[in-house]
Amino acid sequence: MSAEARLLAAGEESCHLFGENNCGFGEVVPGAEIFFPEPWFSFGIPGTSGFTKYTVLLIICVLLVLAFSYFVLRRASVVPGRVQAAGELVIEFIRSNVVRQQIGKRGDKYMPLMMTLFLFIFAMNIMAIIPGLQLPVTSHLAYPIVLAVYIYVVWNYIGFREHGFRGHVIAKLAPPTVPKWVLPIFAPIEFFSTFLIRPFTHAVRLFATMLAGHLLLAVFAAAGWYMLNLNAGGVLTVVSVAYSALALVAFLVFTALELFIMALQAYVFVTLASNYIGESIEGGH
Amino acid sequence: MMFLAAEEPNVLRVHWDEVVFGAIAFFLLLAVIRRMWPRFTAMLDERTNQIEGGIERAQKAEAEAEEIRQQYREKLDEAHREYARELEKAKEQRAAIIAEAREEAQAEAQRVLDAAHAQIEADRQHAFAQLRGEIGALSTDLAERIVGETLGDSAAQNRVIDRFLEELEQSESASQAEVR
Repeated sequence: MSAEARLLAAGEESCHLFGENNCGFGEVVPGAEIFFPEPWFSFGIPGTSGFTKYTVLLIICVLLVLAFSYFVLRRASVVPGRVQAAGELVIEFIRSNVVRQQIGKRGDKYMPLMMTLFLFIFAMNIMAIIPGLQLPVTSHLAYPIVLAVYIYVVWNYIGFREHGFRGHVIAKLAPPTVPKWVLPIFAPIEFFSTFLIRPFTHAVRLFATMLAGHLLLAVFAAAGWYMLNLNAGGVLTVVSVAYSALALVAFLVFTALELFIMALQAYVFVTLASNYIGESIEGGH
Repeated sequence: MMFLAAEEPNVLRVHWDEVVFGAIAFFLLLAVIRRMWPRFTAMLDERTNQIEGGIERAQKAEAEAEEIRQQYREKLDEAHREYARELEKAKEQRAAIIAEAREEAQAEAQRVLDAAHAQIEADRQHAFAQLRGEIGALSTDLAERIVGETLGDSAAQNRVIDRFLEELEQSESASQAEVR
């Protein structure tokens, strides 16, 4: 049964708790299909998703970040207005709490990159709780992986440029502080974790959090609707309303939590990116 | 859970068009922000400059104001001193003028007095000289008269003398009138 068909079926039967035709929550709970909206038109190329809600949201995100850069960066005036002051607060936060701490003074050069990452990721995340849109763009692995791979490329580029193969690779795989006899185990693990899967862990951390968070919100929303049965009769109606209210409260609380996590994940992604770049500037430890 | 079921779409699936769109979006934003960043940092530098410059300017203005106040005070003092000096000078001048005027007046008075004295003296001398000349003639005249008359009776004598005196008086008044 396709996702659309099942939702349609559930709607027709009006499957609710305590109802005549209670089909069980398992039938109505939203699954991974909510991350695969139907494309408005397909490109007809294998391995593509077509023009979907994600594409539209991506364009909205780009416009949001462009608006930020226009109002805060381009129209930067010595005496800031409200918008600029708020934007400067964000920039100052990233500068002093992320870039300066992870890279140091040389990190100022990477501030545009880090600001782009932070604003772009935060915009893509926050799409999940904007009414009517309600889908985090980062819940498709393709978007975080682009950013993570770019950071991986930059990290390697700076590392090779600053320290050469020896400083960038050998010094990481066989640091002088590690005893010789550990190296046969240490070096492959380090190579695997640092040089092979790092961009994936970097991207998946963001992707998985946003996917799970959004799924959680969807489940609570669906549960609230499923448990609300005003035709159950008597005590059951009261119980169903109470359950539903509980789900609604949980939904609101988790929405607030999600908002925090969206900012936090953007912050974490940028912190890691800064950390990697700082590490490649400094060279092997 | 439903989304773990076999027929569910794989959430880890990466669509290539999304990768391309994501990359385009990211590089576009990166390019825009990189391009606008110098403007922002220039603004920050300018702000630092202005704040520092503002403090400096304020300090300078304060120092300048203090200096001007000092100058003003000095000028005021100077003006006061000048005024006092002028006043003193004016007083002195007034006294000098008064003294001079007094001296001049005295000298003038003295000169007038001296001229009057001299005139009187000259008149006296003139009168004396005239009298001296006339007295001789008068004496001779008188003697002639006395001698010419009969000197027998005293009445005649007296008449003669009286006549003489009368004439003398007349001549004297005439001479006086002449002097005048």
